[in-house]
Amino acid sequence: MLRIGIIGCGRIADQHVVEIKKIPDCELIGVCDKELLMAKQLAERFKIKYFFDDVYKFLETCNPNVVHITTPPQNHFQLGKICLDANCNIMFEKPLCLNSKEVNEIINIANKKGLKITVDHNAQFSFAMRKMRELIRSGILGGPPIHLESIWCYSYNDPGYTKAILGDKNHWVRGLPGKLLQNIISHGISKIAEFITTDCPKILAYGFISNFLKNYKENDIIDELRAIIYDEKSPTAYFTFSTQIGPPIHQFRIYGYKNSILIDDLHQTLIKITGNYRSYLNHFIPSIIDAKQYLINSINNIKRFVKRELYLEEGRKYLIESFYKSILEDTPLPISYREIILTSKIMDAIFEQLKFNENGMKNE
Amino acid sequence: MSQNQYIITFEEPILITGANGFIGSKVVETLIKYGFKRLKCFVRPSGDIFLNKINQKLNGNNIEIIIGNLLNWSDCERASKDVSLIFHLAAGIEKTFAGCFMDSVIATRNVLEVLKNNKNLKRFIHISSIVVYSWEEIATRNVVDETMSLEREPELRFEPYTYGKVKQEELVMEYCNKFNIPYVILRPGEVYGPGKRKISGRVGINSFGFFIHLGGNNQLPLTYIDNCAEAIVQAGIKKGIDGECFNIVDDNLPTCKEFLKMYKEKVNKFYSLYLPYKFFYYFCCFWEYYSTWSKGQLQPVFNKRRCIANWKKIFFSNKKIKEKLGWSPIIPTYEALSYYFKYMKESGE
Repeated sequence: MLRIGIIGCGRIADQHVVEIKKIPDCELIGVCDKELLMAKQLAERFKIKYFFDDVYKFLETCNPNVVHITTPPQNHFQLGKICLDANCNIMFEKPLCLNSKEVNEIINIANKKGLKITVDHNAQFSFAMRKMRELIRSGILGGPPIHLESIWCYSYNDPGYTKAILGDKNHWVRGLPGKLLQNIISHGISKIAEFITTDCPKILAYGFISNFLKNYKENDIIDELRAIIYDEKSPTAYFTFSTQIGPPIHQFRIYGYKNSILIDDLHQTLIKITGNYRSYLNHFIPSIIDAKQYLINSINNIKRFVKRELYLEEGRKYLIESFYKSILEDTPLPISYREIILTSKIMDAIFEQLKFNENGMKNE
Repeated sequence: MSQNQYIITFEEPILITGANGFIGSKVVETLIKYGFKRLKCFVRPSGDIFLNKINQKLNGNNIEIIIGNLLNWSDCERASKDVSLIFHLAAGIEKTFAGCFMDSVIATRNVLEVLKNNKNLKRFIHISSIVVYSWEEIATRNVVDETMSLEREPELRFEPYTYGKVKQEELVMEYCNKFNIPYVILRPGEVYGPGKRKISGRVGINSFGFFIHLGGNNQLPLTYIDNCAEAIVQAGIKKGIDGECFNIVDDNLPTCKEFLKMYKEKVNKFYSLYLPYKFFYYFCCFWEYYSTWSKGQLQPVFNKRRCIANWKKIFFSNKKIKEKLGWSPIIPTYEALSYYFKYMKESGE
């Protein structure tokens, strides 16, 4: 039985607690927040035994095997080191740390102590993404991927989050090196990082402030990003982040020599892009096949709902469960350290370029 | 009314938190009408149109707009320093429990912590809501009054706003009693008027793509914005009511059915399906059961407690606030409704 604890009892903590409660062979033993009332409300609502406002007391009393760190990312590095020092495995809310240097250091400490860490890239473990990996293993692409496209949109429709960030010049999101982008894009970048084969791909990034934000006289937050990730020895990739595309899209396309795959994370559909027909048949047949694929996706989702297997945050449950299994049975981690580090490196490079471009524009 | 019936003079500083909100901006306007000269309006940096409204009403009055965040200690200290009255209207309205709790409870705790050392404070006026009551305790067709207890397990209603408001009120009582801070708690009903664009959930819901009318012949606990602001201001300044709680609802309340009929006649026609209370109650029970059985595949947004709190047949009384405070609605309900419907029609609802 794993003993689980949570540090950071804000908005995202609820989502971790809900998934942890579904997993057998673990007990959520205590929660901690620098604001005791926040820790207390979480403990009360989910009937958790202990709550604290002191990390050291929390670790000493609860002695957790795994700690979920769900504080703002600015605290992840320091809290991570404290938890590793107390021999705890850690699941970090994304982004794991502020930059790849901190990520590397945390991983090195964990390795030295024989502990494990992971990051909440839950979108990597949706049913459609898991199915995609099965297909790729079966050789559907006809070789290694040629090109990847990841598009991740964010909608300002959530007034709580949006108002909090836009209204508060001291909001923690504004304090991140990549600001709003850093808090969100790791979901979309990690999908690319999984298939990039080089450790230092080249990045060409272009970011700008949407007209929506400009209308609010917001000049600090870049909320539109287009990036090309490339290297001669690796698949190339495009990454798009947008707050303005409606309805919001979370899609990933992986192109191969023979066939390609389209994953729609929001709709939980997986479409195989296959076959080439002669002459006019190419205008008649593929759309029928696509229609059939969409129908099958829909039926499968309904079946999974009826069987109580389809949850809105099922990726997170799968990830947490796989992480716990990896600790208990010493099996490979659900997300490799290579993928975690590469995701962080790509993000560092993007933010560095945006900063450079921004300074350039200001100088002009 | 002469100034000697008030607990403060017109020159003493008054803080209004949430001053850019629907109720807050009207409270500011009412205080100006009463003649209070030193108003400190605390607004979030994101305060938009209501802030403009306040600005329009300044008219040379000595009003200080304090832009800040009540989650920030220094902002709380800056705002609360030396004030004689506080109208605390700030509350969390977002969708998450943690967010509502933070904006309602933590923010209130910060204000109260600062107030512990404020020797000038004459009264802390906390604006709560009728949602805080434990509706299961009251029998059908009975009258709600201020003696009812607060919801004991508000999280089970699965309404983050309600959760935040219940915990906020508990905290206010605890702090004020512990540190001898004079207070009054006000629990308005459904506050409406120009500026509020939604039909009350007590009338019905739009969750499934069409309007489900659930209120039927239940009394709709309306409070017109001007009447509500008047009650709040009076509760802030009148002598002899410290430690009291008051519900605020107007006179001659319509039923939900009457309200919906008038709305359709005067604003716009739309399709609505009436579901009897019993039917919807069992639907909510089933939904709640399924939510538990499926381990949250559907969140328990429809549940027994929420159904009882919103759609059980209950009557509302303003007897206490009329008797103890001497308040009565300044705008009668039929007139208030006509202003509201006119606004809704003109704003294109």
